[in-house]
Amino acid sequence: MSTENPYAQYHVVKKGDTLSKIAEEYYGDKMLYPKIFEANREVLQDPNKIKPGQKLRIP
Amino acid sequence: MRIAKMFVALTALTLVIACANQKEPAEKAVAQVESALAEFRADAEKYAADELKNVDEAVAKLKANLAKKDYGAVVTGAPAVSSVVTSLKDTVAKAKIDAEAVMAAAQAEWGELSTSVPQLVEAIQSRVDTLSKSRKLPKNVDKAAFETIKTDFETVKADWTAAASDFASGAAADAVRKARAVRSKAEEIHAKLGMNT
Repeated sequence: MSTENPYAQYHVVKKGDTLSKIAEEYYGDKMLYPKIFEANREVLQDPNKIKPGQKLRIP
Repeated sequence: MRIAKMFVALTALTLVIACANQKEPAEKAVAQVESALAEFRADAEKYAADELKNVDEAVAKLKANLAKKDYGAVVTGAPAVSSVVTSLKDTVAKAKIDAEAVMAAAQAEWGELSTSVPQLVEAIQSRVDTLSKSRKLPKNVDKAAFETIKTDFETVKADWTAAASDFASGAAADAVRKARAVRSKAEEIHAKLGMNT
């Protein structure tokens, strides 16, 4: 059982967001979107399908 | 003349007898002082070394008088030395309680720090690793700042290792002092990476 890291950063998905956009915002490089996808596999099945309101961990 | 000689001899004899009468009490007094001091010497060396040195000097004077067979001086001086030994015992007991309280507080704080600091380090490490692979950096971090962050982060990790080593060797207070500084510096890095939003 893993405990939540209080120093982890989160992003709440807004309308129009994509994982690429989020990766660009936090990493400066949209090609790093798989990092975010892999870190959120428990809530994301498809990197192209994210929903507004979803809380994603940004590793 | 004859009476005078007899008086001198009698006086000398009285002194010898009086002196001999004080031998046992003098030896007993020194033994009691030494025994009382031996009971807490180890703690005194740890918690009140300077005061112990003064008491040791007083005991040494007492023993010197005993060696010189100046039993009167020993019997007269022993109560004062016994009193400083008792006073030192009280000082040591209080210092020990204070030190134990400080140690308990440090250990409790270490419990929290040893959870939070590794979490902070883990979060920063993950972001530094990712940004190191990035073709560009995010808007809030320029290249020079990122290089400084990486250097500072290496220092943070080394300092954390040193703090953990201090704690493992029993120096909890030193460990906590270092760990607080590590957390403060790591929180600074966390903020500079824009991770505290």
